[in-house]
Amino acid sequence: MHAQGPEVVIRIILALVGLLALAYLGGHPWVRQAERRLRIAQLVTAGFPFVALGLVLALPSVGILTDEVLRELSPLLTFGLGWIGFSAGFRLDVRELDHLPKGSARAVGFATALPFAFVVTTAALLLLLASDGSRPSLANPALLRDALVLGTAGAMSAQEAARLLGDAARQQRNLLRLEELAGMIGLAFIAAYFRPQGDAVGWRLPGTAWIFLTVGLGCVLGMLSYAVLQRAKSPAESILLLLGTVAFGAGFGSSLFLAPMVVCFVAGVLVSNIPGDHRQRLRDALSRLERPIYLLFLVIVGAIWEFDDWRGWVLLPCFVGARLLGKWLAETLVRRTTAIDLGEAHWTVRRAPIGQLSIAIVVSAHLLYPTGNLPILETAVLAGAILTEVLAQIIARIGPKPAPESLALGVDP
Amino acid sequence: MNLLLVLALGGLMHAARSFQDAGSIAGTTLAFGFVLLVAFFAGGLSAGVRLPKITGYMIAGIVVGPAVIGLLTPEMVRDLELVDGVAIAMIALTAGNELDLKAFRPLMRSIYWITLLAVVGTAVLLGITVLAMKGILPFMQDIPLLPAAAVALVLGVVMAAQSPAVVVALRDEMEADGPMSRTVLGVVVIADLVVILLFAATSSIAKSMIGTPGEFSDTIGLLAWELLGSLTSGVLVGAILALYLRFVGRSGAALFVVTACFVIAEVGSRLHFDPLLVALAAGMLIRNLTRRGDLLHQEIESASLPVYVVFFASAGAHIDLSVLMSAGIPALIIVIARAAGLIYGARWGARAAGAPTEVRRFAGLGLLPQAGLALALSSIFAKAFPGIGDAARSLMLGVVAINQIFTPAVFQWALRRSGEAGRRAQAETAPAPAESGGLPSPSA
Repeated sequence: MHAQGPEVVIRIILALVGLLALAYLGGHPWVRQAERRLRIAQLVTAGFPFVALGLVLALPSVGILTDEVLRELSPLLTFGLGWIGFSAGFRLDVRELDHLPKGSARAVGFATALPFAFVVTTAALLLLLASDGSRPSLANPALLRDALVLGTAGAMSAQEAARLLGDAARQQRNLLRLEELAGMIGLAFIAAYFRPQGDAVGWRLPGTAWIFLTVGLGCVLGMLSYAVLQRAKSPAESILLLLGTVAFGAGFGSSLFLAPMVVCFVAGVLVSNIPGDHRQRLRDALSRLERPIYLLFLVIVGAIWEFDDWRGWVLLPCFVGARLLGKWLAETLVRRTTAIDLGEAHWTVRRAPIGQLSIAIVVSAHLLYPTGNLPILETAVLAGAILTEVLAQIIARIGPKPAPESLALGVDP
Repeated sequence: MNLLLVLALGGLMHAARSFQDAGSIAGTTLAFGFVLLVAFFAGGLSAGVRLPKITGYMIAGIVVGPAVIGLLTPEMVRDLELVDGVAIAMIALTAGNELDLKAFRPLMRSIYWITLLAVVGTAVLLGITVLAMKGILPFMQDIPLLPAAAVALVLGVVMAAQSPAVVVALRDEMEADGPMSRTVLGVVVIADLVVILLFAATSSIAKSMIGTPGEFSDTIGLLAWELLGSLTSGVLVGAILALYLRFVGRSGAALFVVTACFVIAEVGSRLHFDPLLVALAAGMLIRNLTRRGDLLHQEIESASLPVYVVFFASAGAHIDLSVLMSAGIPALIIVIARAAGLIYGARWGARAAGAPTEVRRFAGLGLLPQAGLALALSSIFAKAFPGIGDAARSLMLGVVAINQIFTPAVFQWALRRSGEAGRRAQAETAPAPAESGGLPSPSA
């Protein structure tokens, strides 16, 4: 009893009080109102303090989120990834895509493929230079995989970026959703073609089969979710069934060494696009739980973040620079080859913020491949999310200010 | 349809398990989702045959757990214990928050007498029963009579423990309210304290009598630390929760309550506090010293259903049917003796206190459910008495298993028969009654 005596109690109480203060700040209507008025994403306001909290609690000198505690909490990370994937999938209403203007596919292709290519090339070179010398070759599958992960994370922009795009926001929001779809496809391919090896892994199949399996599993879980969620008789039951289906889907995907986020994304798309009154109930349940789950997810992300590895900080400007270059080139090509309205000037930077899905992609890859350079990538993406948000805010304040929009993280009206 | 969904989920779970011996992270998430869904639908099936939903949750846990078809591995069941701690803290917070001292004042006499006669009396009765079965209990045979009586008394105390968790969950499920269910809630909460105290006292005496090492002063020190530390921490946690509810209100309150329960469970167990007492004290503080009791109740209610479902299913998955078989006849005798002691003890206690008829008739049935505390004390017993502990623990587990499976249905029946089931919902829809200073009459 006395081995972990009063000092532990004091630390825990301080942590609880810290969480209280942050939750107070993050949840207070005044802060939410300020977020809307200032058009700031949650990662910077309510979200980032939770990352910082995780970071502080995991410090050896604080010793609260120790390795043992994190091991116990790691299922929450898998669950959080599934949740983010499901929410993103649920947002993708294919009926809305019918109203997209001509050339949208090309625009999304440019906006994702070019940053992807630039980031992959830059990251591969940097990771090659930063490698420990054991396998310094571009043919090293782990190096290629890590570069592809960063490229996939860099290809997408945050949904919240649409609020900085003025009159073109609604149209851009749909394009940003398609970018998320591209990101999910990228992650599905990485998980399918870079399989873990060893005796513990069953079902030895070619990579293409894993792609089909990912989509098939997502569809089965989507249909199951639909059937399950039809049984809910109250909001509390809707929440329970939603938690259950997402946890089951994320756990199933993770057991097969697939990306839980992708499996749940497919399930979310399916559930969202089957007609029925379940969608409103589901939307309510998602919006009720979204913020708490995302904030808890961020605490754990903060706790596993190896921010003291200098290589991540070196990678950061290169990642952000390569990504912005790719986005700028995409903007130029979209303006020249399509009739899509890109809104005000500085489209590239306004549309640059890195969102929760990009962070989740890197964390998902970290869980799939615990060894390698993935902690470095987390630094680049997490810090990059803040940097790009700040850049976008500065540019948005210089130019004309669009009307404020909802900042809901996942479920848009 | 519920059955079809359960079968579909079982098939998918089997497929997932065939891929690999699900590693810890994926396995826990998978198990959590699977248990949540399967137990929920099993609860629906159970309600369809007029049994409590929690019986369905527990049966689902037994069937999919390691003891029967093994879709959940022992590792997965162990990992779900993380939820158990949160659930116990949440249940205790609910129980504490329900203990409005003003409303309970008219019931205090009944609670006192029932605790004395039913709980303490049953502990003594069970001790005598165990001693009478000395000849057929292998672990008792070699112990001389006087030390055997002391050990039997310790076992009696452990097996007399009740389950606030089942009482709280069933009151919520049946939306029950009234003097009987409130008295039962008051008794099971106070009985928890009484049982802990009696266990500490009797086990110290028994240890000294059978020569097991251990200083009496150490035991007293541990007990003081556990009780006083738990209550002090509870006051602190209650104050923090009250501050949150005062200044932040509803915004993120459910998350904060769950986080607080997690901290209570994890930190409490590390510091040898009783999470149940910590949360109980916190809940009581908020209900009786602040105006945030109703808000806390609403927040717990919105967050508690998934936690309860997993908790009871996990309790079912922990039941080892082979232990139940081996404990066999002695366990059954103890279950019968315990039921008789609690039912008649409650009846006499209620009569002595002049309690209403439905309290006399049905309160004893609410004391039958058994779960967490008895399991925890049986583990402590096994460690405290190394020579006989494991065999005695098997007997205690057998008793708890039988009570876990069958007694929730008995309490549900009692809530229905007493007319208290559904009364909470009626009270919410009916116009507010005039101040009477007491509880509404069940016959009203």
